[in-house]
Amino acid sequence: MFCENCGSKLPGAVNFCTGCGARVRTPGPSTATPPPMPAQNQPPSAAYPVAATPDQEVPKTPHKVPVTNYAGTGIPLSETHPAGKCSWCAAIIDAGQPNCPKCGAATGMHARPSNSGWAKLPGRKDMAQLNFGKSVCQIEGVYVPVADMKLAPEDSVYFTHNVLLWKDPQVSISAMPLKGAWKRLMGGLPLIMTQAQGPGHIAFSQDGPGELIALPLQPGQSIDVREHLFLAATGNIHYDWFQTNIWFRSRRGNDTETHYPLGQVMDRFGSAQAPGLLLLHAAGNVFVRELAPGQTILVKPTALVFKDPSVQMMLHFERPAALFNVWNSNHTYLWLRLAGPGRIAVQSVFDRIEGESNITGASQNPLGGMDIGGEIVGSLIGGLFDR
Amino acid sequence: MTTPSIPAGEALERIQCQWCQSMNAKTALACQACGAPLDIRNLVSESGWREAPRIRDMTEIHFGSSTCQVEGEIVPAAEINLGAGDAIFFEHHVMLWKEEQVRLSVMPLAGGMKRVFGGMPFLITVATGPGRIAFSRDASGELVVLPLHPGMELDVREHAFLLSSHQINYSFVRVKGLTNILFGGQGMYMDRFITTGAPGLLILHGYGNVFERRLAPGESIMLEPGAFLYKDSTVQMDVELQRLGTGLFGGTNINLARMTGPGRVGIQSMYVHHHTE
Repeated sequence: MFCENCGSKLPGAVNFCTGCGARVRTPGPSTATPPPMPAQNQPPSAAYPVAATPDQEVPKTPHKVPVTNYAGTGIPLSETHPAGKCSWCAAIIDAGQPNCPKCGAATGMHARPSNSGWAKLPGRKDMAQLNFGKSVCQIEGVYVPVADMKLAPEDSVYFTHNVLLWKDPQVSISAMPLKGAWKRLMGGLPLIMTQAQGPGHIAFSQDGPGELIALPLQPGQSIDVREHLFLAATGNIHYDWFQTNIWFRSRRGNDTETHYPLGQVMDRFGSAQAPGLLLLHAAGNVFVRELAPGQTILVKPTALVFKDPSVQMMLHFERPAALFNVWNSNHTYLWLRLAGPGRIAVQSVFDRIEGESNITGASQNPLGGMDIGGEIVGSLIGGLFDR
Repeated sequence: MTTPSIPAGEALERIQCQWCQSMNAKTALACQACGAPLDIRNLVSESGWREAPRIRDMTEIHFGSSTCQVEGEIVPAAEINLGAGDAIFFEHHVMLWKEEQVRLSVMPLAGGMKRVFGGMPFLITVATGPGRIAFSRDASGELVVLPLHPGMELDVREHAFLLSSHQINYSFVRVKGLTNILFGGQGMYMDRFITTGAPGLLILHGYGNVFERRLAPGESIMLEPGAFLYKDSTVQMDVELQRLGTGLFGGTNINLARMTGPGRVGIQSMYVHHHTE
């Protein structure tokens, strides 16, 4: 027997689908069944499991998209979903699995970009299970999600100690000193990561409503993450950091202050030999897009969640057109310009940037000079800022 | 995942709620005693934590001759239609609105001065039916509905309880042990709710998602103290210091609460950090 709602195979006599939670109707003589009851804990995007890539035309009225597969067909997922690949992380999904085993994205909730090209982080059903190494991570809760890990004896995971929610008494935790401690201290970053060694259960959560992002890293792949968004990573992921060199100065009275809208340092996580799992926590909803080589976009610096290392960053100041005195105007919009190729992700809840008015100087961009009003200008105009 | 105990296709007239164990009519979509949706998957993690059900908007819960309707999803409000002779008690700052005829009075409490020094609300307010009265808290989170059956004793983190029906006796216990008070991150007192002869209803407000787990006798688990929400009084709580420091950076220690069974433990996934340094 198969679920009418999501197509999962059902183990005999059950009242509810083990995959999506929809009520299972007992098979009667007539197969003309009423529409399946949607599970309550999933976003409405589950209603249209039709893969749409950015270059395909996205239907304007999603409610009218016909549900061509799953419902009542009894066909295993691998057949209705020919690639058998996760649309989010490209992992192979076996038939009958309710979610991607690597990133937790629910099968049938495909990355569906908005008209502008941003895709909301894929829907994850509550209690989705991910595999890493020989261990399992289950993501519980939809509001302030918890990552609950069942560590195998040979697997370990590290985290900042303030995200620990609970653990089995036998799971040993120890400190993992990091290099560059002095600079990290100056940058306000944690000096010590905590490491937990299996076997046993350990769970993490961050204290804010938002998304728990599971990023599987393939060997050789690495990713840059804005500070304080890191939740936990498997032991085979190496952790490094680099100076962002993104700063600007503002003046209030006689005081000049230097601001780092991205933080002084940025975390870089990478995987060397074996695939690993990186968990991040972002506030609000998370949107991701792929930038083509040379394609740029402006985002608020505090909204950035992660980017591929190939994506270049620079500050961009925009002065809105005004009728009077532009140079002395206090109105400056501060942006972070991201240039492809590569993936970027933003969060919908982000901090206000301090000192956005009265900017007197800023970091140089990689091409030399500051980036003002959309033009690259050299040190001559840069000097104008040093009033 | 546990298989529901009632096999499909059998002519059984009742569904048992997996959250509060109450029996419901087969056609019910939500449990009448706790409001948990009955037609969605039973959310139990592989490690044994059961997620508190997200109560659907406008779900009705019945207790005594009264009903409680849960409204809203981001910051849910509990609207109570009190039957004549029914009463509920609560901390006064959670009231949202009431009808004029609902009478308010103050519950006499022993040890009032101690509570003031412990930072607990001095007054517990009682509302007596008939009439409607509604409650909410000033933070996003979940309403946790716990129907209490006779013989239950529940300890709740201070300031976490929203309201309770009059069949439940309220008292408070001092958190035992100096380490627990200083490093436990939950203050000096815990609310204790004890049922009398009749079943009653207790509604808590948890921050973020709420999970419950039943510990076997002697089984224990280490919790971040700020995550603790409630426990059966049979569960023992001890705060232990875990040293993390090695070599040069000998400074970091964390406090974890060891909860030892038998009984239920409830946690919240969004919590305040009181520890370290």
